[in-house]
Amino acid sequence: MSEHPGVGAVDGELVWHTSVWPFLASVGLLLVLPLPFMLHFVYGKSVLAAVVLAAGVVLIILTAAGWVADGLEDVHGYGAGHSVWAMPLFIMAEALIFVGFLAGYWMLRFSASSWPPAGTPAKEYAVPVFMTILLVSSSVTTHLAERELEPERESRPGFIFWLCVTMILGTVFMGLTVYEWSTLFHEGFNLGTNVYSTVFYSITGLHASHVFAGLGIFVCLLIPALRGKVNIPFVKAASMYWHFVDIVWLFVVTQVYFW
Amino acid sequence: MSTRAKRGFRLKEWIFTTDHKRVAVLYLAGSFTAFFLAGVMAMLMRTELSSIGPTITDNPATYNTWLYFHGAAMILGYLIPALTGFFANYYVPLMIGAKDVAFPRVNALSFWLYFAGIVLALLTFVVPDPPDIMWTGYPPYSIFSPGNTALYSFTVLLMGFSSIAGGINLLTTVIRMRAPGMTWNKLNIFVWCTMGAFVLQLLFVPFIGVAVIMLLLDKYLGMNFFNAAAGGSAVIYENIFWFYSHPAVYVILLPAIGLIYEITATFARNRVFNYKGTVYGGIWGVVALSGVVWGHHLYVSAMPAWLTPIITFTTLLISVPVGLLVIGLLGTLYRGSIEFKTPMLYASGFFFLFLIGGLTGIPNALSAIYSHIHGTYWIPGHFHYVMAISATTAVIGGVYYVFPKLTGKQYNETLGKLGFVLFFIGANITFGLTMYMGAAYGMPRRYYDYAQFPEVERLQYITTLGSYIILLAAIVIAVSWLHALIAGKKSEENPWGSRSLEWTHSVSPPPPGNFPEEVRLADDWDPYDYTK
Repeated sequence: MSEHPGVGAVDGELVWHTSVWPFLASVGLLLVLPLPFMLHFVYGKSVLAAVVLAAGVVLIILTAAGWVADGLEDVHGYGAGHSVWAMPLFIMAEALIFVGFLAGYWMLRFSASSWPPAGTPAKEYAVPVFMTILLVSSSVTTHLAERELEPERESRPGFIFWLCVTMILGTVFMGLTVYEWSTLFHEGFNLGTNVYSTVFYSITGLHASHVFAGLGIFVCLLIPALRGKVNIPFVKAASMYWHFVDIVWLFVVTQVYFW
Repeated sequence: MSTRAKRGFRLKEWIFTTDHKRVAVLYLAGSFTAFFLAGVMAMLMRTELSSIGPTITDNPATYNTWLYFHGAAMILGYLIPALTGFFANYYVPLMIGAKDVAFPRVNALSFWLYFAGIVLALLTFVVPDPPDIMWTGYPPYSIFSPGNTALYSFTVLLMGFSSIAGGINLLTTVIRMRAPGMTWNKLNIFVWCTMGAFVLQLLFVPFIGVAVIMLLLDKYLGMNFFNAAAGGSAVIYENIFWFYSHPAVYVILLPAIGLIYEITATFARNRVFNYKGTVYGGIWGVVALSGVVWGHHLYVSAMPAWLTPIITFTTLLISVPVGLLVIGLLGTLYRGSIEFKTPMLYASGFFFLFLIGGLTGIPNALSAIYSHIHGTYWIPGHFHYVMAISATTAVIGGVYYVFPKLTGKQYNETLGKLGFVLFFIGANITFGLTMYMGAAYGMPRRYYDYAQFPEVERLQYITTLGSYIILLAAIVIAVSWLHALIAGKKSEENPWGSRSLEWTHSVSPPPPGNFPEEVRLADDWDPYDYTK
């Protein structure tokens, strides 16, 4: 590592820093989302779509692993704890995606003649209440995990324990989403049933995708932690993200389920 | 000054680069590629319109594809990346005395996401069912269109990811990485402008993401956001889309006017007039008000009558901070010692073009007038003055200004001035007449053919000639840059005599790490101090 972030010296010569991961990440993203979506939904080539998707998933996993490993090694001397400043900005942008969908929902709801529209099954409260309990407690366990890293404790096993508890809670939450969706599908409440189904599946799906992303970030913390490497600003940023996913759920559950 | 990296060209060091200056150059290459392709589409459309009846294509669907690609590529592929990708990336770390951005790898990722967006946009010419929904993608047509709406949605989404990642990165950079002594009130106006633009990106890009995701869900997964038969409403799309897309104009305007400020202060050898008013009133005023102006795009789209006068008022309100920005520019000229080198010519062009573009926007804000002129050539005439040619004078003038810094070479003044004169004449003929056809004859926009309006055929023909003058200008400008790159004289370190940090503290072109040593600024340092 060089003394000046951004400047590395090889034989007294200034070098231009490089990293292969940004390029590969963008190729991976192209293979994971736009191309398989279009191959399947627009051109009906489902087999090819699945192959492209699989290649994309592999590439994304490799890229994430390489990206995180390089970051922890800090090969270019980048690490300066900027992520705790950047994450709130990212969360602001993410929150506004939810605001956009909720705004669409409110416009649909206030212009509807009756609510809920015909075809909506009777509301089921037990599952969403349980999901809320899961997610709120996972926010607490994230906080506990983060606290294990404070200077007076510095307990990596404690951190790993609470991180695993958080991930289990998050995974059960995802499982319940799948259970709930499949139950509703069986009742004939599909994506296109009415405007409420549109709102319900898009907003809960958007939220579930964020839970999934959060779990992915936790995997990127867990594997290096098992090998003895922890980057505290990165942990703090990941924890902020998870709290955000939790807080957004409170809006989702009150707006989409209980109202 | 210190050592420079003296090594040959290595492709690997460009494709995988994380250096902000090289990422910036990649953005420049990407955005000019998009500019070239979108420009070709514009020339094809203008040629098609030069006479009534089929001129170069007899298929209106082909024309619609050109129209789609021209708009999407100009805004998402050229203007936003050139200004917030190239200029912001190149200048911001140099202007604040930082060695790089806060997250160099995320910076490279932003570029490659944008590049993936360009790749998708180019698939337009490969797929059997190109999108034909303009850059706005309004439902219900975008839902029922035989074209590939998903291609449009994913292009927007990838470029949106890129903008958000880039915005977070550069905002963190300015907040955290200013050199000691670089206090907030000593930042270059351009740095403030990019901060404003990136705050806008973070606040509004999520909404266009939402809009195009809704298109995907409706068209391909059978959802009902915009399906009136199931209780949906296409007006939701228009609201969410313009909630981003009007502020997108300010995402383009702010860095563009920031460049004009830098050029003007340097070539007038003068302080920036009313610095604090420009920053806190002008730039942040635009940011603060940009969330209440989208409604004027919807005056004729089922807007409640009680809302119309409110939107008229809030839309007009934004001319106050924009006025402050213009007053700051003109005040910077006052008692300056103005030198009309090529970048300053472009800045002067900007004053005129932006004045016309701004004044012709006022009628569009007034709902009663708008309902008569909407859908006519007046509208594209107006927004081409503001976005297309004002912003392009800033981009091209900005490239001439940064050229010695970027390449270490000096361009030929005569070629530079010739390019400007041709551009200025061509742009005013083309878009002046476009506005005139809309206001005087009610010529409808977006039409492939205009047999019902034979009286405008001569004007259409002259407009097309004007666009050929712009093409000629583009060729002269490209030649002047290539000539400078290949045969240009070596430039002085600070050929413009600027007082700004990127010229005074770093060699041209800057090495990795930008500055030979840690930058520290004295208490009386100021980027526009021309009194010493």
